[in-house]
Amino acid sequence: MTITLLLEQVFNGIQSGVTLFLVAAGLTLILGIMDLVFLAHGAQVMIGAYAATGFTLLTGNFYLGIFLAIPLTFASGYLLEYLIIRHLYKRDHMEQVLATFGLILFFNELIRIGFGPAALFSNLPPSLSGFVYILPETPYPAFRLIVIFVGLALAISIYILVAKTRMGAMVRAGAANPDMTAALGVNIHMLRRFIFSVGASLAGVAGMMLAPLTVVEPGMGEPLLILSLVVIIIGGIGSVRGAFIAAVLVGLVDTIGRVFLPEMLRAFMDQSAADGAGPALASMMIYILMAVILVFKPTGLFPPKG
Amino acid sequence: MQALKRSLEIVKSSPTLFILLLGFGLFPIYTSITDLPFWNDIAMRIMLLGMAALGLNLILGFGGMVSFGHAAFIGIGAYSVGISQFYGIDNGWLHILFALLFCAVVGLAIGFLALRTKGIYFIMITLAFAQMLYFFFVSLEVFGGDDGMGVDRAEFLIIDLWDPLRLYYLIWMALFAVCLLLLLIINSRFGVILQGIKDNESRIEAMGLSALRFKIIAYVLSAAVCGLAGALFANWQEYVSPDIMHWSRSGELMIVIILGGLSYIAGPLIGAIVFFLLEEFLPELLFFIAPNYSENWMIIFGPMLIAVVLFTKGGLMAIFHQIYLRLTRRQGTT
Repeated sequence: MTITLLLEQVFNGIQSGVTLFLVAAGLTLILGIMDLVFLAHGAQVMIGAYAATGFTLLTGNFYLGIFLAIPLTFASGYLLEYLIIRHLYKRDHMEQVLATFGLILFFNELIRIGFGPAALFSNLPPSLSGFVYILPETPYPAFRLIVIFVGLALAISIYILVAKTRMGAMVRAGAANPDMTAALGVNIHMLRRFIFSVGASLAGVAGMMLAPLTVVEPGMGEPLLILSLVVIIIGGIGSVRGAFIAAVLVGLVDTIGRVFLPEMLRAFMDQSAADGAGPALASMMIYILMAVILVFKPTGLFPPKG
Repeated sequence: MQALKRSLEIVKSSPTLFILLLGFGLFPIYTSITDLPFWNDIAMRIMLLGMAALGLNLILGFGGMVSFGHAAFIGIGAYSVGISQFYGIDNGWLHILFALLFCAVVGLAIGFLALRTKGIYFIMITLAFAQMLYFFFVSLEVFGGDDGMGVDRAEFLIIDLWDPLRLYYLIWMALFAVCLLLLLIINSRFGVILQGIKDNESRIEAMGLSALRFKIIAYVLSAAVCGLAGALFANWQEYVSPDIMHWSRSGELMIVIILGGLSYIAGPLIGAIVFFLLEEFLPELLFFIAPNYSENWMIIFGPMLIAVVLFTKGGLMAIFHQIYLRLTRRQGTT
């Protein structure tokens, strides 16, 4: 257990945290403002990953692939809202669960038909696949650093958009009290469609950044969806700031827990018991964290004031 | 005499349910005449999924608590069988007792924490707890971890389950018992209060009753029913893995309930039947239209779910009910 290993894991934790935030940012607004249980947000991640990988294979250029994929994810979100989601706002949660579950099945199968059931591998261009020394003798993959920077940059832009602009004021008002916001003359329908499409693009970007780090396969967004739901509950439904803090928290706890928890347990119990309990406890850590937070704050850390 | 009258009343209150139970009871006769034992297997799966959905529907349809994590209790029930066998306990009745007990204890703990929240929070928290248990079993290498563990069909004292038909009737009897129990609960004072909580929780509170206590009891009961279904499922599948408590199975339970109609006691059973029939026949249907894509039946099933939500209110039972009403009215006028 060295300081370089710790630093590396902290960076990995932040990297998975910001990726998680990109998925959670849109979802927390969808849940908060639209009071909509939207389970197909993981499918948006998948669409983003497949679009970027597909366009990269088609054009032979990684950057061009991403450049073409972003508008596509925005369009898919816009279309989805227009065709189906807007009919679900007034329905109860159970029906929303069912309908968006149906969407997951549809998108997974669509991808399976279009790209085949096997996983795709997205290769990084040589310019991005090098290493950067974050400390002397501590190489770190350059692409992961870029993911952190892009994620943080997007997080700051979202913060400015939500906290400092007129648009953001409408979004916040919509999260606190949608009916009153509509009564004050804000076109809540367009606001919803806009938020939905931006949320879809953010999730898509998360998918594009994950594509070179993991495999691109049908259903790849679902683990991320569950994690981002945990993030949203910890942060408070409808709070972008809460989502950011919770996402980094969850990313760090999850990553560092998996590496160091088994070692830490070894200090308390004998080897074999620690090896058995370590991984079990590590994978449950974030859910335990969530349960503890909910016992003390049933509406999350930063519930939007309403 | 009083008891007989009461039970007749119960049968009358939900004829569909008893017709279905009778149908499941007689089904093996049909399959043995037509020599299609494969369909017995499907009927067992329908009964097991239906049993779990019936359990969930106690809190979902009648209590208004949208739990998105009930697959976890199926998993706990199934693992109760697997783990008991691992430690050399072969008695099936004991397995079922353990399954009920563990599910009740875990259900009490989760219910106690989760039921403080409402709405979307409750849905998400139940999902998160189920995921927690899922990963717990994934990382238990002793019991096979991700790969799961093999299970032998248990010995139910004198009933040896070597004959699949005995398992069939064991499952059938369990389903029958669950149906009776749920009917009794729903028609009892407890059930009425539970439905009152669904309609207006603050009014129940204002009457001086602790809504939370009723909700927790209902949650524990529904967890135990799912545990029973899980224990029997392990015997049917002769194999347990964390896959059985994957979150998509919680979604499946909800699909089955809403498809059938959540405010009807027989709804989940109807939903389970339709769900499995679709799973069997959609690929065959697709084979006629587009032979290359018959495996991709989900591409039709997904939009079908959306259509059910958008265009029907109250599921298939509501549609049947409408048709029944129209038919009887016509008979009345002529």
